[in-house]
Amino acid sequence: MGDLSGYKGAALRLLEGAGAAVGDVLEVRTAWGAVTGTLVPRYLYGDGEHVVLKLKSGYNVGLSLEDISEVRVSAKGEKPSFSPPPPPESPEGLPRVLVIGTGGTIASRIDYRTGAVRPAVTSDELRSLVPELSQVARVDPEIMFDIMSENIAPSHWTKLARRVARAVGEEVDGVVITHGTDTLGYTAAALSFALAGVPIPVVLVGAQRSPDRPSSDAPLNLIAAVSVAATANFSGVYVAMHLNESDDRIAIHRGTRVRKNHTSRRDAFESVDVPLAAVWGRGGLEHVAEGLPPRGREFEPSVRFDEGAALLKFYPSMPGALVRAARRSGAKVIIMEGTGLGHVSEEVAKELKSFIRSGGMACMTSQCIRGRTDLSVYDTGRDLIHMGVLQLGDMLPETALAKAMWVLGTGARGEKARKLMAEDLAGETTARTFPG
Amino acid sequence: MERLLVGLELHQQLASSTKLFCACPTVKTEEFPGKFERRLRPAQSETGHLDPAAVFEFAKGRSNLYFWNPESSCLVEADEEPPHPLSREALRDSLLIAATLGSHLMGEVHVMRKIVIDGSNTTGFQRTAVVGLGGSFDVDGVRVGVQTVTLEEDAARILGEDDASRHWGLDRLGVPLVEIALEPVDGDPDLVGRVALHLGRVLRSTGKAARGLGTIRQDMNVSLGGGKVVEVKGVQKLNLLPKVVEYERRRQSMLRRVAEELQGKGARRVACVHADVTGVLRGSASPVVSKLLSGGAKAVCIAATGLGGLLGWEPEPGVRLGKELAEVARANGVGGVIHSDEFEKQGIQPVEEAAIRRAVGCGSEDALVIVAGRADAVDRVVPLLADRLGACVDGVPAETRAPTDGGETRYMRPRAGSQRMYPETDVPDITVTEAEEAEISREAPEDWRSRVGRLEREWSLSRDLALKLYDADEIERFEELARRLEIEASFIASVFVDLPARLSREGVAESGYSHSALAQALEAVASGVVAKEAVPDVLKAAWEKGMTVEQAAGALGLERIDEVHLAGILDGIVSRQAALIREKGDAAFSPLMGEAMKELRGKADGALIARLLREKIAGFSRAPD
Ligand SMILES: [Zn+2]
Repeated sequence: MGDLSGYKGAALRLLEGAGAAVGDVLEVRTAWGAVTGTLVPRYLYGDGEHVVLKLKSGYNVGLSLEDISEVRVSAKGEKPSFSPPPPPESPEGLPRVLVIGTGGTIASRIDYRTGAVRPAVTSDELRSLVPELSQVARVDPEIMFDIMSENIAPSHWTKLARRVARAVGEEVDGVVITHGTDTLGYTAAALSFALAGVPIPVVLVGAQRSPDRPSSDAPLNLIAAVSVAATANFSGVYVAMHLNESDDRIAIHRGTRVRKNHTSRRDAFESVDVPLAAVWGRGGLEHVAEGLPPRGREFEPSVRFDEGAALLKFYPSMPGALVRAARRSGAKVIIMEGTGLGHVSEEVAKELKSFIRSGGMACMTSQCIRGRTDLSVYDTGRDLIHMGVLQLGDMLPETALAKAMWVLGTGARGEKARKLMAEDLAGETTARTFPG
Repeated sequence: MERLLVGLELHQQLASSTKLFCACPTVKTEEFPGKFERRLRPAQSETGHLDPAAVFEFAKGRSNLYFWNPESSCLVEADEEPPHPLSREALRDSLLIAATLGSHLMGEVHVMRKIVIDGSNTTGFQRTAVVGLGGSFDVDGVRVGVQTVTLEEDAARILGEDDASRHWGLDRLGVPLVEIALEPVDGDPDLVGRVALHLGRVLRSTGKAARGLGTIRQDMNVSLGGGKVVEVKGVQKLNLLPKVVEYERRRQSMLRRVAEELQGKGARRVACVHADVTGVLRGSASPVVSKLLSGGAKAVCIAATGLGGLLGWEPEPGVRLGKELAEVARANGVGGVIHSDEFEKQGIQPVEEAAIRRAVGCGSEDALVIVAGRADAVDRVVPLLADRLGACVDGVPAETRAPTDGGETRYMRPRAGSQRMYPETDVPDITVTEAEEAEISREAPEDWRSRVGRLEREWSLSRDLALKLYDADEIERFEELARRLEIEASFIASVFVDLPARLSREGVAESGYSHSALAQALEAVASGVVAKEAVPDVLKAAWEKGMTVEQAAGALGLERIDEVHLAGILDGIVSRQAALIREKGDAAFSPLMGEAMKELRGKADGALIARLLREKIAGFSRAPD
């Protein structure tokens, strides 16, 4: 029996009876005439009452079973053989860049027969899809995971950090990590701590428009990421995404200060309360911030994470039970997203107090996203300080969460863990905030 | 003669309240406060194949500048937000149109992405879905089949372009559009025109078609004698269709004959060689060449075997192979193409030609094509022209062409391949409900022919006037006035349909037209304030100067004068011309009428003037001396 993916119910029985499979050319007789076309897969939520054919014109049409009197296979489908145009030659002596895939497709091709989209897996495929890469670096693609970005967990951060640490020893000039955008900010922050002091640029990159469409932001983001990884004279963990809605400039964000602030725009990622690390234009880096760490530092990676940290967003009427639930689920650190300067209700404060008394660490960030916490202004804040809540200043809530998991992963507890949380380790917090 | 086949594709904007995939209104924007820049790149297919049309656009390396205004576009048009679900209103409207054409309605509608990489869609594809399959209609006894009825989003509006980028307005992007693809019909230009006219009227009969300039466009697939299909895109004026068909017949027939000549010489493929001739041509006596070579331009000459004499050959009027080559070059940014059949005309001396032939290393029978312009553009164009020359032996190439204002066609780009459609996964498939189908069958419109027939009979109109009223979509307003006012219905009809066209020809800006002024003018005629004859002048003044009808009539001195006053004026004329009347009797009417009209045109009804004048002349003659 051939592949009939997605078909069910009466439609599945009809197609099975005709010996049809996805990709076959079918002739379907209906009450109003005959329709010839290629059988295409049915989507997960499609009903069992329609057969979908791709007409010669390329259109898909859904034919109702009640109209169909006969289905005949007029030709068995053939899998298209793939023969991409040869990738352009790379000049000798280009820098080497490792491109790690985690599941967010950054380059892919379309099977027009069935509508399937297949990501590039080899260097040749990648370079034939984005020929400009050949002029920038020798790229070695490597697929590490194939998962949706919302399923990325601290265990993946550890694997990524290990792989990057190994690459440093393999004379790689830079590393690019392609990543789904939803949790890209968390991964960037996590790697910033695990790879603190990394001697080469590590650039995370994603796309807000999938690469199967001509307007995708993926190719330009990737070209910029590879170019920065190959040639930048600074090191550390960064995120490369569109600077604005135009295809001309790419913003290079610090891994600990970047946040996805829009659901769909190309320029969804923003550096919060700090200037961009750099701006990349088609001619290369156009602007680089002062004080970025140079290449070639010594580093001692600490790649383990411990998932015993929780991020809670305070809201009016939030039950204290939610804090207890976090604690019961194994949280040793709770990062609160408080209101304004960092406040929570009395009820929640009470629960935090008992959490701290039992040995937990409670940290305060602000749901305002911009600006820093300050618990000294109002009584409620002073009460929190008094009970031992650690305020994290201008640290982003998501960065604070990743940091807490990393701190726990180092084995630090108590005062040592508190000190690590408060200190600036990878640019995640600064003493001064500037206008603009 | 070989059979010419023409497949029409009509594109009609729908009069829906929102765009197809977002809640933006469908309005035209004049000013664009925002802009952004994008580059599209061809998506690779599973076979590694790249679409020729897509590669063509990408190779030109131009970016796209998109201009937007929040009054007419949002993040969806900017491709910064996924499409919203397909507009149910537009879907129903398109289904009604499909049903009216006898198409079978699809039970489930699948939105596709059709790759279009010229920048006219920010996404790089057009969203489109088949809503109806099959169907047919009859035009003067000829049965015309319908292939598909599709619902799609309109493209962005081109605002202009330069070497570096194309400029687009996002206001039109996403407006719902119905495309009706017809089975090919016999390429009789007149028939093609009538089919298009009929189809336009069918669409109007549904009440779902948008009105106004640019809301309807025709594409045409033209092939001669089973040869390759040429697509002509975007004919906006219906009356151009027959001309375009006729031009394509001549053009394709010329290409055929060139191929036959080559095949007759036993050629299987035209071989081409080329060489840089910038140095050879420097200091040329030809003013055209020296102009082309000014400013560091480069010139390459292609020699094509066996094509000598065929580039300038004009077996049918106005079509030559040389012109085709120049069009391909121009579409790729090179304006300077000179071929050997026009060397003499362009002032290239025989000694220069000999030097060129030596440089390229070819015989005297070969055709030469000089390509001159910016070096990078020339380098890109030369292989394209060599390919084009090489394929001459195969006849008509498959390509996409654009119509000119004069009804000819110009090369645009290679035809898009078939591998350019894939599912739009951002938009869920839509099941058409039984309730919707029932609603659509209830809404079935009256056939336009029966509606026009009714109009003719009920108001004693000529067929021509009735049709014009139908085409101008003015039936409702016409009938309202015809019922209310005591004026001849045919006069009202002609004011509705002929007058705006006439004033437009006289250069009155259409933006100033208003229906209320038109109605006021007719009311003024009915109440005797303005004479019928004065209506054109009064409306012209009203529309040009933004006056009311009354003000315009007053300003022009065209208020109707009453019968007593009129009689007084005629008495004056008669007494001034007493000698003439005495001499000629009734025959004096003509010159007197002329004089009266000079004074009274537009102030009184001509028939009334004539009647009174005749009475006065008769009375004068009878009167005693
Ligand atoms: Zn919109």
